[in-house]
Amino acid sequence: MIKVLELGKSFAGRPAVRHLSFEAPDGAITGLLGSNGAGKTTTLRMICGVLQPDSGSITIDAGNDPLGRRRRVGALLDHTGIYSRLTVRENLVYFGRLRGMPPKLLMERVDQVLSILGLESIASRRMAGFSQGERMKTALGRAILHSPQNLLLDEPTNGLDVPTVRSLRDLLRRLRDSGTCVVFSSHVLDEVRALCDKVVVISSGSLIAQGSPTELCAKAGTASFEDAFIRLTCQPENCSC
Amino acid sequence: MLNQSLVIARKEIVDGLRDVRSVIASLFYALMGPLVVGLVSMAHPGGTKPGSSVAVLVGMMSVFTLVAAFVGGMNVAMDMVAGERERRSLLPLLLNPVRRGSVVLGKWLAVSLFAVAGLVVNLSGFALVFATAGLPVKVAWPGLLLVMAFGLFPLPLFATSTQLLISTVSRGVKEAQTWLSLIVFLPMGIGMLLVFFPAARQVWCGFLPVVGQQLQLELLMNGGKVQLLQPIALGCATVTLALLVLLIAANRLQRDEIIHGN
Repeated sequence: MIKVLELGKSFAGRPAVRHLSFEAPDGAITGLLGSNGAGKTTTLRMICGVLQPDSGSITIDAGNDPLGRRRRVGALLDHTGIYSRLTVRENLVYFGRLRGMPPKLLMERVDQVLSILGLESIASRRMAGFSQGERMKTALGRAILHSPQNLLLDEPTNGLDVPTVRSLRDLLRRLRDSGTCVVFSSHVLDEVRALCDKVVVISSGSLIAQGSPTELCAKAGTASFEDAFIRLTCQPENCSC
Repeated sequence: MLNQSLVIARKEIVDGLRDVRSVIASLFYALMGPLVVGLVSMAHPGGTKPGSSVAVLVGMMSVFTLVAAFVGGMNVAMDMVAGERERRSLLPLLLNPVRRGSVVLGKWLAVSLFAVAGLVVNLSGFALVFATAGLPVKVAWPGLLLVMAFGLFPLPLFATSTQLLISTVSRGVKEAQTWLSLIVFLPMGIGMLLVFFPAARQVWCGFLPVVGQQLQLELLMNGGKVQLLQPIALGCATVTLALLVLLIAANRLQRDEIIHGN
C-alpha cells in the first residue's frame, strides 16, 4: 500500500507537485491521470525514492525511508534503459543480483518472467537492435522480477503492439488479484478506464479528483470518461490545456 | 554495500569488454609510447648517446606512461555515468535499493581495472622495446618494483576517480568526451614542464599525484636510488585524493539534476 501525504516538489523555483495526497491500496490498480507536465512522472519518481520531495511524506507498506521504498517497489519509469551489450537474461540477472536475490530463486524467477513475457526465444541475444516492444518487455520483466508488493509503471504500453498490450493488461490484473498494489500513469483514457479500480487525476501538480472511473464521470456530470477528464482538468483554476 | 558494488563492477567489466572499439582504442593509447620509442630507436640505431633523439625519447617514456595511466579507463568511465544518463539507463539502476556511494564504488572498481590494465600493457611494451632495442636504460629492479607498486599503480585509481566525477557532472557522452580529453593534458603538460623546465622540480612536488610519479620514473630511468618512504607516501597521497574525488562524485550523484536533468 502506498500513502502519499501533502507531497510537494519544485525545480528551480517552479512547482512540479503541490500538496498532493492520495492512497493506492493493495489488490487494486490505481491510475495516475493527467496532461503532459501534470506531475505524474515526478510523483512516481518521488514514490520510488529517486527524487527527494521538498515537503510531505510517502509511506510504502509502513516504511518511509527512500532505500526501504526502493526495496518494496518494482518500477518501470520513463524509459526502458536496458543495457544493449548484455543479453535479455543477463539484464534480468544483473538487476536480480543488485536486489540481493538468492541465486537459485533468481534463476527460477528469470525463467518464469521470460516465459510470462514471451521472451524465451530471444533470451540469449544481446539487446542491441531490439525493437521498442522487446525492450519494453525486458524492462517490465526487470520491474516484476523480484515479485514486488508494489508495482509502479509510467506509461508502460508505449511502443507495445496490440497483443502485447493485451497480455500486459492480463498480467496487471493477475498481479492485482494476487494482492499487489499497482500504480500506473497513462495518457490513454480507454486503458485507464478498462484497467483501473481507482483513478487519481492530477493537473499542474495538484490533485483534482480521485475515485473509480464511474465516480469521476458522475462527479463531472458526463457520460464519457474522456469528457469527464477534460471537464475536471479544464476548470478555470486547474486548466493546463 | 560492497557486495552490490562488486555486482556493479562485474557487470561494467563485461559490458566494457564487449565494447570492442573502446578496448582497441585504449590498447592503442597504451602502446603508443612504446611504439614511438621503438620506431625512433630503429630509425636511429646509433643514436643512444646522451642528448641524442633516442635519449630524449627515453626520458619522455615517463610522460607516455603517465598518459597511459590516464587514458586506459577513459572510454569506459565516459560510458559508465554520462553514457548511462544519455541512454537513460541510470534511472533504472538508481531505482534499485543501492546506495549511490555503492554505485560509484562499483563503477570505479571496474574502470580502475581497465586503467591498470592499460598501464600494465604500456609498461610491458616499454620493457619489450628496451630489451630488444638495447637502449641505454639502467633500471634497478628493487626500486622499479617499489615505484610500480606504491607510486605508479595508485595513479590510475586517481585518474579514474577524476574521470568518473567528470562523467557524473556531464549530461552526455559528448560533454564528457570534451572534458576528459582535456584531462589527458594534465599528465602530458606536467610531464613536459618537468622535462623542459627542471627548475620546476621541488621536494614537495614528489608527493603530488602525477608530478610525483613523473619524478619517480625519471629517477629510475636515470639509474637513481629510490628511497623507501617516497613512493609509499606518494601512493598514500594519491589514493587519498582518489577517494576524496570519489566521495565528491557520489555526492554529485545524489542530486536531483542527475534524474531530472534527463
